[in-house]
Formats: sequence, structure tokens, C-alpha cells
Amino acid sequence: MTEPIIEIIDLKKSFGDNHVLKGISLRVMPQEVVTIIGPSGSGKSTLLRCMNHLNMPDGGKIIFQGHDIASKDIDINAVRTQMNMVFQCFNLFMHLTAKRNIALALMKVKKMGKAEAEERAMRALETVGLQNKADAYPGELSGGQQQRVAIARALAMDPKVILFDEPTSALDPELIGEVLDVMKKLALSGMTMVVVTHEMGFAREMADKVVFMDQGVIAEQGTPEEIFVNPQNPRTKVFLKRILKEVGSMDPGIPTDFLPSSNGEQDKS
Amino acid sequence: MVMTIDWTIIPDYFPIFMKGLQTTIEISVISIVIGFIGGILIGMCRISRNPFVYGLSTVYVEAFRGTPLLIQIFLVYLGLPQLGIYVDSPLVAGLIALSLNSAAYQSEIFRGGVQSISVGQIEAARSLGMTYNQSLFNVVIPQAIRNALPPYTNEFITMIKDSSLVMTIGVLELTLRGKLISATTGQSIPVLLFVAVLYFVLTFSTSRILRYVEKRFAIPGMMGSDSR
Repeated sequence: MTEPIIEIIDLKKSFGDNHVLKGISLRVMPQEVVTIIGPSGSGKSTLLRCMNHLNMPDGGKIIFQGHDIASKDIDINAVRTQMNMVFQCFNLFMHLTAKRNIALALMKVKKMGKAEAEERAMRALETVGLQNKADAYPGELSGGQQQRVAIARALAMDPKVILFDEPTSALDPELIGEVLDVMKKLALSGMTMVVVTHEMGFAREMADKVVFMDQGVIAEQGTPEEIFVNPQNPRTKVFLKRILKEVGSMDPGIPTDFLPSSNGEQDKS
Repeated sequence: MVMTIDWTIIPDYFPIFMKGLQTTIEISVISIVIGFIGGILIGMCRISRNPFVYGLSTVYVEAFRGTPLLIQIFLVYLGLPQLGIYVDSPLVAGLIALSLNSAAYQSEIFRGGVQSISVGQIEAARSLGMTYNQSLFNVVIPQAIRNALPPYTNEFITMIKDSSLVMTIGVLELTLRGKLISATTGQSIPVLLFVAVLYFVLTFSTSRILRYVEKRFAIPGMMGSDSR
């Protein structure tokens, strides 16, 4: 059996009295797509942000390629080049064109020459289908295009893992599809991905493992089948029922077997 | 007694006005440039998490912002010698005082610009493996200075006008030259009006130039980039 690329052991994080993560343990295998779902405030984003030190974990371990990166002594910049993040609000550098957004870190971090960095940036833009927008500024792109550039920016660093923090939550509904398509392409190419998302369709279709977080703990994890079709934890059932009803009301094309079995649940409105 | 206004005084003394103007431009440009660089350094201290660095820079800013520039000029020119530090040229003393003062104001302008940049910009840069300094210099500062151009314009204009205060320690800049010409000729109205016009030409060109810079470096797709 292969080694996990990331192994999180009993990770804890508090903001003051607010215990956001209460001991998270999670394994991510190479080339795996792990989606993290759960209600807002459950600690999903904090877990992701702890993984590359945008928030410093208080306790526990994150073993990444044999090193505990939860430790303060680690060279976090070196870790971050291997584990990039895609943000909810895209966070493209507003003063740089799409191409230079991607090339900047290649030049500063990977010490590439300008020509090499820009060539690599163009290839990354091709991957996300935006080579014709290379010279556009973020302010001139739609939200979906901006997020695709952000994915290209992460991808160009040639990371081992890409973390996605609600990558489609800030998008207009009609723009979500193009971003999910790029993410699917990435997943199929074998990229290891940890995705915090409310897109249950993506979780179900692409995930190797679905993690349900609630109140700072992992309440349940398993394959998409296990979580979506036959959830065991009552909190998972309640969450899925609520969110799928919302999604279902917006999108009547959602398959019925998508809904979790509602045995033992009341509420019929 | 009433003296008739004689505008020929202007062409007569024109070369002297120009000498004064030149000194005013030199003082303004040098203190604005030093103040700009100093402002970035102090502004960076003001956003530092180190309490000592933060505290020291805050004291600096409050002290220079909260006391009259004229007193600061006197302190440099008249006060420092008492401590055994001799600034023998009034011009140099004036430059020191103006630069220190402007750095305090410009640091606040810079800080405002930095704080207008969303945290996400730094987080994105850091999450790609860039160091804090790389993120600051490549991502934050270029955007911060663009956003801060309007208040910078204000400060530069203020500096040009405030440079007249160094006349009090005997720097032969535009205002002092004008005052001397007016005293020798008695033609206060034409002389002082002409001096005022020369200041206006300086400040108005400054605001036009910076407006151009603002447009030239506006970020496409961002607010203000395609208006007007």
C-alpha cells in the first residue's frame, strides 16, 4: 500500500475561546481527490488554511512528504511551493495581467528567467483554456475566468497538492460550471486535490473520499456512495437533506438517488 | 502715502525671481523624494507586528504631525547646534526639517494605501511560496502606491507651499527673494502676486503630472481606469 501524501493527526486550532478544530485526523493519498463538506463554521476552511500555515495550527501534526509541517521550524515557503491554494475570492494580483500573475511566483520563488516563466504561464493558461486572455487584467475577466487563472497560477508551480477553499462559492451560478470543468480535468490528470466545497455534484462525481465536518470534528468520512447514499451520522443526514433540498429547488435536473435515504427523518414540507 | 503699482518691476527683477524659484523647486523636490522613501520605511514600521518598531514609528509620526513645521525648522537650525551638531547651511537645515516632516505625513499615506489592499493579496502571494518581503514589494506596494496617488498629490502640493517656511532661517528661496524685492522696491502687490502665481504654476503642474501618472498606471478593469 502506498504512503499517504498528507497525514493529519489530531490537528487543533482555536481563535481565542473559539475551538474551531477539535482534533482532526485525515489521510490524503497521492492522486486522490478529497472533498470536505459541512455547514459554515464547521472548520473546513480553517483546516485547509492550517495545512499551508495561513493559520498556524495550535496542536497536532501534519505529515507532508515525511515532514511534520505543523511545526514552527519548518521552511513553510518550501512547503507552500508544493502545496498551493486556490481561494474563494480568487485573489489574483489585480495589477498584473493573467500571464504575469502566473509568472510572478515562478520568477520570484522558482527563480526562473522571465521568458521561461512566461512560457510556462502560457502553458498553464492553455490548460485552463484561457490562453487568449493572457494579457487581460483580472478586473477585465469574469469571476469564472479569474478563478481559472488562479487555478493555472497554482498549477504552474507544479505542486504535489492543490488546496481549494470553496472555489466556486463567490461565483454567479452560470459561471460555476467552467471552474468545475477545469477542476475535473485537473483531477483526471492525477493531481492530488483537497477541495472544500458546497458543490455536492462535484463531490459526488469526482471525489475519492468525502469528508463531512461539523463543529470542528470530522463527523463522517467515506466514499461518495457511502456519504451521499447511505450516511450513517445523523448530522450528516440533516446537513445533506438541507443542502440538497436547496440545490434541488434550484436545479430540478438533480437525480433523485442523490438525496440521502430519509428513514427516521421527519419534516415533509 | 499711496504708491502707483508698477508692473515693470517683474521683468526688471525676473532673473532674481527665477533664482528663488529654482531654489524652491530644489528644496521641494529633494524633500518630497526623501519624504517619499522615508515615508515607505516608516510606513512599513507602522504596520510592523514588532511592538518596539511600531511604537517608535508611531511616536515619530505623532511628533512630526502634531507640532508646527516652523518650530521643527527652528529646532534643526537653531536647536541642533546647541547639542553640538552644526548644520551650517540654512538650506541643508531646511531640507532636513522638511524631509523629516514630509516623511511623517507620507508614511500615513503609504499606510493607508497598504491597508486598502485586501489581505487576500498577501495570502495568495504567500501561499505560492513568496516570502513576506517578496509579497510586499511585488504585490502590495505597487498596488498601495497606485491607490494612494491622490493623497500623495495633496502632500506634494503642501510641501511645495510649505517650503516657503524655510525663508525664516534665511534660505533664499522664492518667498524670501520676493520679500526682499518688495522691500527694496516698495512694489509689494506686483511682487507678491507674481510670487503667488509662480507657486501656483508649480502646484498646478504637480497636480496635472500626478493626474497623468494616475491614469498612466491605472489598473485596467479597476475603478477609475476608464473614467474620464
